[in-house]
This record gives sequence, C-alpha cells and structure tokens, in this order.
Amino acid sequence: MEKDKTLWRVAMLIPPLAVFGILVVWPLFSSFYYSITNWNGFSADYRYVGFDNFLQIFHDPLFTRAAVNTVIWMLAAVIVPTGLGLVLALLIDSQVPGASVFKSIFYLPICLSAIVVGQIWVWIYQPDWGLLNTAISLVTGGNSHFAWLAKPGTALYAVIAAWSWQQTGLAMVIFLAGLTAIPADLIEVCHIEGASSGQRIRQVVLPLLRPATVVVVALGLINSLKGFDILYIMTGGGPFNSSDTLAMHMYNESFKKYHMGYGSAISVVLFLIALAIIFAYFRQLRKVDEIYE
Amino acid sequence: MFKTTRRALMVSVLGSGLMAALPVQQVFAGGEVTISHYFTGDLGLDGLKQIFAEFNKETGITVKDSPIGHEDFKTGILVRAAGGNLPDVFSYWAGAKTQFIINSKSLHPIDDMWKAANLDAIVAKPVADGATLYNGHRYLIPFGYHYAGIFYNKKILQKAGITEMPKTWDEFKAMCDKLKAAGVTPIALGSKNRWPAQFWFDYLLLRTAGPDYRAKLMAGTASYTDPEVAQAMELWKQLLEAGDFTKTPNAYDWTDAADQVQRGDAAMTLMGTWITGYWNTNKFTDADYDFFEFPTVKDGVPRAAVGPVDGLVIAANAKNMEGAEKLLAFMISKPDVQAKWASIQGALSANEKVDPKTYTPVMQHALDVVKHAPAFAFNYDLATPPAVSEVGLSMFSQFLDNPGDVKSMLDQTQTAAAAAFKQ
Repeated sequence: MEKDKTLWRVAMLIPPLAVFGILVVWPLFSSFYYSITNWNGFSADYRYVGFDNFLQIFHDPLFTRAAVNTVIWMLAAVIVPTGLGLVLALLIDSQVPGASVFKSIFYLPICLSAIVVGQIWVWIYQPDWGLLNTAISLVTGGNSHFAWLAKPGTALYAVIAAWSWQQTGLAMVIFLAGLTAIPADLIEVCHIEGASSGQRIRQVVLPLLRPATVVVVALGLINSLKGFDILYIMTGGGPFNSSDTLAMHMYNESFKKYHMGYGSAISVVLFLIALAIIFAYFRQLRKVDEIYE
Repeated sequence: MFKTTRRALMVSVLGSGLMAALPVQQVFAGGEVTISHYFTGDLGLDGLKQIFAEFNKETGITVKDSPIGHEDFKTGILVRAAGGNLPDVFSYWAGAKTQFIINSKSLHPIDDMWKAANLDAIVAKPVADGATLYNGHRYLIPFGYHYAGIFYNKKILQKAGITEMPKTWDEFKAMCDKLKAAGVTPIALGSKNRWPAQFWFDYLLLRTAGPDYRAKLMAGTASYTDPEVAQAMELWKQLLEAGDFTKTPNAYDWTDAADQVQRGDAAMTLMGTWITGYWNTNKFTDADYDFFEFPTVKDGVPRAAVGPVDGLVIAANAKNMEGAEKLLAFMISKPDVQAKWASIQGALSANEKVDPKTYTPVMQHALDVVKHAPAFAFNYDLATPPAVSEVGLSMFSQFLDNPGDVKSMLDQTQTAAAAAFKQ
C-alpha cells in the first residue's frame, strides 16, 4: 500500500520535473556550454574558446557600467519599497480612517504586469504632456519639459521609481502580516508605561518585525534580479547604455550584437550572483525559523 | 492496484515525453509554407492575408503566417534560429544583416528560382545587385524598398515664405534660419529607438566623403577617427548647436517627429517613405506634404540615395522548400501583388513592371529620385554588421544628447567598432 502511494507520488512528480528540466535546467546548462564558445546565435559553426568570454568581461566598459547600475538598481529597488512599505504598513495598522481602502489601493500595482507598469510610467514621464512634468509646471508655475527617460543622469532612477511604486504594495502586505503577529498586550504595556509612538516603533515593533523584514528584503533582492522587463519597456538600457543592468547588457550582447557566447558568459556571472543571494536568503530564513521555534 | 499504479507511471512518463517533444516538434502538413514577418500594421496584415489567399488560389499551397512587431522581430527570429526552428520563409532587411545570416549558413540560395522566374527581367537592377546578391549567389527577393528624404509640411514652408527647396547645404542652412525667424523649429527628429538618427549621419557622410569612402567605413577598412567622419559629424553638430533640431530628440519616437511636422511644431523631418503611409492614415495627405532630396554638401560628390530594402528569404532548413520558392516568386513577380503591397506600405516596388501611375505623386517623385541616383546605399544599420551598428547607433544617441566632445566619441566608437569587426 505504501509502495503504491510512493509510486503515485513519483508519477505525479514526473510531469512538473520534466517541465522544470526542459524550461530551467536544460537552458541553464546550455548557457554554461555556450559561454565557452564563440556562437553567434545563428550559425551551426562555432568553436570552443575556453574562458575567453569571461576574460573579455574585464575589458568591457559596458559591463562595468552595467555592473555598477545593477548594484544601484538592487540597493534602491530593495531599500525604497521596503522603507515605503514599512511606513504604509504602520500607518494602515494605526487604524487611520479608510485603512482597508488604502491597503487595496497600495496593493493594486503588484497585480499589474511589469510591462503595464512600465508603459504607465512612460506616459507619466512623457516630456510634453506627462503627469510628472504637468505637476511640476503647476507647482512651480514654469513650463517643465524634462525628458526623464532620455537623460543619462535620470533614466535609471526614473525606472527605479516606477519599480518601487509597484513593489511597495508587496512589502506593505508582508509588514502588515508581521504587525498582526505582534501580541496586543505588548503594545498595551507600551501605552501603560507611557512610551511615545517613536519609542514604541523603535524599541518594540521594529525588532519584532525582523522576520518580516528578512522576507521583504530577500524577496526584494530576488525580484530586483528579475527586473528586466520594466527596464526593457521603459528605456531598453538607454539612452546610450546609461541604464543598462547586467541582464540588459546580456540581452543586448546576445540578441542585438549576436554575441551569444559572450552574452551566455554574462548570464553565467548573473546566475552566480543570484545563487549567492538565494543562498544568503535561505540562511536567513533558517535563522527566522529558529527565532519562531 | 499495482497494475493501476504502473499504468499511471507509464502514462505520466509518456505525457512528460510528449511535453518534452512539443517545443521542438515540427508540425508539417503537405502544401503548407510557414512565414514570419514584421509587417504587423492593420493594413499590412490585411494586405498580406489577401495576397496569401491569392497565392493559395493559384498554387493550392496554404501560407501559415506568424507576424511579430518590427522591434521584437529582431530578437524573435534569432531565438527561432537558435532553436533550429526558423519558419520556411521570413522577412529580413537586405544588406549587412542578411549577409550576417548567410555567413552563418542559415539561408537557402535561390539562384535556380531566380532564373526560372526570369527575375533579372523583373527586378530593378540597382536594387537587385545591391540587395539580393551575397557571396555570388541570390538569397533574397526585394519585397519592397524605401527612400529616405526630407519630408516637409507644405503650409509651414509657405507661411515662412519658402517656395524654392534647397539644393545646396548653404541654401539648406538659410532655409533653417528663415524658419526659425518665422518661429518654427526647422527639423523634427525622434531618435528614442536610435535608428531614426542614422539618416543624418548617412547623408552627411555620403554627401561629403562619397559612397566609396562610406562603403569602406561600413566594411571596417576605414576608421571612425578619419577626418571624413569628423567632418560629417561637425556639420551635424553645427545644425544642432544652431537650434535647428527639436529639443531632446532621444525622448521621442519617429512617429512623434512625424506628428510634430503634421501639427506644424516643426517644418520637416529626414525619414523613409514609410512616413507617407503613417501620414496618410492620419489624414495628412499628399496635398499637405512633400519631400526634397538631401542637399549637395560638396560639389562633385555623387548624390547617392539612402534607404532600406525589405526582403523575403528562405531558411536553409525549410520544411517545404519548393513551396517557399513558389511563394517568393509569386510575391515579387506579380505586378498587381507588388503594386498592392507598395501602396499599403508606402513603399516602392522593386518590380519594374509595376505601373508608376499606381503610386501617389509623392511616391512617383521618390521613384524618380532613386532611378536617377548614381548609387543606392543601405542605411547605416543595414550597411555595417549588427555588432558595429549597435556601437554607432549608441554614439548617435550620445551625440544628440550632448554633441560636445565629438572627437572622444569617435575615438571610443572606433575602438568598439574595431573589436566588433574582429569577432
């Protein structure tokens, strides 16, 4: 009987494992393989080049710029939604009037695809009739036509703002869940002891939100690594590579310059970075579990 | 019970096997040709549907169509090639991009079909030689081609008192000054997708250094640090610094630039003849716009015409090679098919049998210019290998954002281009 159950379990596992193998494992190993070749993506003729593609990374100024942008992107794409999500969660948890409506409104963007979010913000940033320039003109009484996505100094940060707008809702919901887990009598003791709001948040709420913070930060890091589509739709890495991240640089090298071998090498580097982050994430999760135990 | 379980396991394994096979399985039905292309506008899709129906009526072959948007097509077709899953026929840009995939042995030569369909007598010679011959063989049929000219809003020019179109660079600059004096920005440019800027570089280089030098630069035997390139960039810089272009071109698409001209916010834009299709759809007609040729900059330099050629090619591993060749022959040799397609796309037909009267007056003018041009040059991103054009297109964007240090930009471009040519 137990043997039958085991066989059924194995049988049920085979289809998803097959899909996972075809769509994830196989392409992953293909990337490793192509990263040591000079394949151009079209030709059946390509040759083994050893670690040349990986060495080329050190001489590629666009890679350096993309790596710096990736660090900026990851830091900002984690810090901004986490901070805003925490503030919103604390405000909503303090039972402001219409809290549930605000919760739904702030969570809504996470339900949209990154492409839709990107397009909405392309319109917001439009130089002539976009919402942002219109608002600036109204406030300043001037006539703002700033091209937020077309200027190298602002393009990356403009995309980060759009990304943060979407991701803040997710952070907020996780923090709200964390806040409900804080015992009410602890908060009550704070009130009785005459602790100010600031003291209560700093010394009671934030330490007890640590497990939720770990989840928010880890999810933020992983999601930011996947943040290719919103960059693609908003700037495509431009203007002139100023908002390239490693994922975008990999795409440009592989599909626009037809350097599939070199693009694969960049993807391997990106994979290793993601692996290190995921490893750190699981270590933190284990620590969180220990806190709860 | 065990039997049932074993069966479940077998079904599961079989199911998984089928799922594994699905992505790479080639579905092939006799008499079917698969095609992918980047003509995704409503008019283009409708037109092709009618053309494929006519082809089916004539040959009994069904065309299975999978269109992809112009920008996504560039990636999409590469993904299909990488997976060994190219359609039988696909659209592609004649020039360096086609040369690249021919060098990768991904295309089927069509010399026999070319002869059998007597295409030498049908395809206009300048287009045929430049766009279809690679490594001594025919690989592509020109499905339509475009010419890049300076398209302008007639009313705006009239209002500014401009009646004569400029023939020389000095006349052109004087025209820009006159427009600015009348309160109109002379030139609209929407280079968000980078490629619309290339026509300025193409024409300025062609008009100062000539087609032979430009061919050398495109092939990597001349350098971006040469004085010829610096001179072309300097002329472009002078226009930018004189305020002749609309502000922040990198923030706008070419359609935005077309809209600026249509609205009268700007007077003219250097663009391909596809702009006529866009304007006509927006109720801005031949009566409202016209074009003039890029002016002569240096006396004695041949006045080459610039533009892209849209082609159709056959994959080297096409499943229905005979059907694919029949489709290509049908698409190029039927004057009515070509006339219909040219009209839909705002393109010129490479089929000489097409009656020029089927074109609008503006397109007749474009045809006349191309016919009399001493050379027809592909635009930058079709004239130089893809890895190099990526470098150059980014340089144009940087230049448009801040044309300050041109020498440094050209030095960097040459370093990157030289590396790309080596790969």
